Order: sequence, then C-alpha cells, then structure tokens
Amino acid sequence: MDEDELWTREVRDEYARPVPGEPDARARLLSRVRHERAAGIASRVLRVSPLAAAAAIAIALGLGAAGGVAWMKSCTPDSGHASGPIVRTDPGRTTVTFVFRAPGASRVALVGDFNEWDPEATPLRRAALGDAWTADVALHDGLHVYAFVIDGREWSPDPSAPLAPESSYGRRNSVVVVGEGNAL
Amino acid sequence: MSLRPALLLACALAFATTAHAAPSDEERLRARLSPEVADRVLVVVRSASDQGLPTRGLVARALEGESRHAPAAAILDAVARQASALSAARRALGPGARDAEIEAGAAALLGGVPEDTLTSLRHVRTSGSLVIPLVVLADLVARGVPTPQASETVLAATRAGAGDPELLRMRERVNQRITKGEAPPGATREGLRELLLRTPWEQRRPPPGGSAKGNSP
Repeated sequence: MDEDELWTREVRDEYARPVPGEPDARARLLSRVRHERAAGIASRVLRVSPLAAAAAIAIALGLGAAGGVAWMKSCTPDSGHASGPIVRTDPGRTTVTFVFRAPGASRVALVGDFNEWDPEATPLRRAALGDAWTADVALHDGLHVYAFVIDGREWSPDPSAPLAPESSYGRRNSVVVVGEGNAL
Repeated sequence: MSLRPALLLACALAFATTAHAAPSDEERLRARLSPEVADRVLVVVRSASDQGLPTRGLVARALEGESRHAPAAAILDAVARQASALSAARRALGPGARDAEIEAGAAALLGGVPEDTLTSLRHVRTSGSLVIPLVVLADLVARGVPTPQASETVLAATRAGAGDPELLRMRERVNQRITKGEAPPGATREGLRELLLRTPWEQRRPPPGGSAKGNSP
C-alpha cells in the first residue's frame, strides 16, 4: 500500500466515523421543525380570496355605518322629543344643524331670513350614506323662518319643523326658534 | 402739524368701522330690489322702526319675495301685511312683549288667529315666554286645524301648566297623526288629551279664581 492509498483510507475512515452529538440536539431539531410547520399553517389561514376579502370589507363598513348612526342618534341633544333642526348652544355661539332628505337631488340649499334668502349662500352637504343633506349655521337668538331649495328651483319647507302659517309667495316656510331654552 | 397724525388715525378708524359694519336695511334692500320697490319697502320699514317694532322680518320678507321672483306688487303687499300684523301683535301682547314674541304673534295673526287669543295667552302665561305657544298655535293652523280649535287647544294646554317641551311634543304627535291620514281636528283633540293625561296635577296651574284640583275628573 503506497503512501497515497494510505492517506485516502484515513480520510475515508474519518468521514465514516459517527459524529458524537449533544444529548438534546434531536429534541431541538424536532421543536424547530414543528414551529416552522405551525408558522406555515398560520400564513395559509390568512391567505383569503379577493371575493372573501371584499365581503369582509363590506360587512365591516356596514357594521361601522350602523355604529355611526347609533352614535349620531345618541349625540342628538333633543332626542327626547323634538324633531327638526338641532340647536347646540356653546358659550357665545349657537349653531343650528339643518337636515333635509332629498332622494335624487343633485344639490340642496338652505334659504332663510339669516342669509338674505339667497339660494347660493348656504349649500347643504350630502351625507356620506343615504339621501340626507346637512348644514351647520350660526344663528342669533330669536325666531327664524327658512326653507330648502332643491336643484335650484323647487322650494320646500322642512317636514320635521313647525310651519309658518303665512304663504304670501305660494309655498309655506318652516320656523326654528333659538334662545328659548333650546326648546326648538 | 400735530393734528395731522390724529386726523389720519381718526379717518382710518372711521373707515375700519364702516368697512366692518353690517350692511344697513337700506343697503340690503337696494342691493336686491329695484329702486322703486326698495323705496316703498323702506317707507314701511322706517314707519315700523319709529313705532318700536322689530324690522328684521320686514326686510327678510321683501328679500324672500325677490328670491322667489315674486312680482313687485306681491312683495309690497306682503311687507305691508306683515307690518300691520306686527303692530297688532304688539297691541295684543302688551308693551312689554319681546321682539321674538311680537314676530311669533304676527305670524299667528297672519294665519288667521284672532288678537283675543294672543291676549288670552298672555294672561294665562304671565311670566314666561310666549314664543313656543305661538309657534305651536301657528303650526296647528297651518296644518289645517280650524283656528278656534287650535286657539282653544293651545290655551287649554298652557292653562293646564304645560311647558314648552310638552307643547312641542303635542305638536309633533298631532303632526304625526295628520301625516298618517287622520283629520286635523281629531288629531288635535287626541293630542291635547294625551298632553293633559301626561301633565301631572302638581304641575298644573290653577285657573283664575279657582283650583286646578277642583277640576279633576
């Protein structure tokens, strides 16, 4: 046996010799394998189809809207009795929120003795959901007469507020009172 | 020389005051009405002002007519009738009536409510505001309740000691019944009955010359 053949045999025997392992090495290896498998399963659970994602978003939006409506109702100061405009009195300032439902309207304006009955002065904002339109207006104490103008041509009183009996110009107006203990 | 800065300062202050002042009734009317109509409306407004009546509603009534494209004659007629109603309302409610009460009383009178009703309301509610009772009364009339019945309803409710919130609740219930198709007189009778049933006897005011408990059923 020449020198080269002897060296090759020593190397081969060294490779074939079993490696002395740590006593808990197998346990650590199995634990790591289980952990990675569990992580893989978790990532597969979170993977959903686009249709299911859209449905989930729609449900979440619906629940959010319902919650928002309930919250707005709970915030209405006169929820005990009065419909019509919502009067909020802060120190030195009274703000009245006007709400009007106008299905199919493209624009709604508020006109009254507080804005010179100018249909361009106080446009209402369309609410995010439904067909309600709203406007917040700072008003002085006293009796105010108002109406809504739909799409720049049709005048309408507020169906939820008291009516003014006088109709000199063909259509009745509505009435809001500020500064009488926020009664109306 | 020393007067010059003071004069300049005074001019600047006067300009600033003018620039920030709200436009006068005359400016507002002339900005929207023809000169002839504005002149005639201003005569009515100044006359009302001289009598100590609130003029805000008169100017607003004229501007409303312009926004509704009403003819000049209709605008002048509406303003004249409103001024007459303001005067009558102040007469009926007494010299101590506040502007809002006079305006609410004028609206009721224009709807056909007799002056006597306003005077009776003042006698029934001597200390509190009459704005809400008058607004409720005008609303009932506007919804088709016969004027005598509307007057009697608001007078009876106020006489029973109903406050503004109770009157507004009654208005709302009557309105709901009318909207559902009930006849205005029946809806009003029912609305008053509900109000009286819900008004505790302790809250009721004794009628003049008698005791409220003496009228209990």
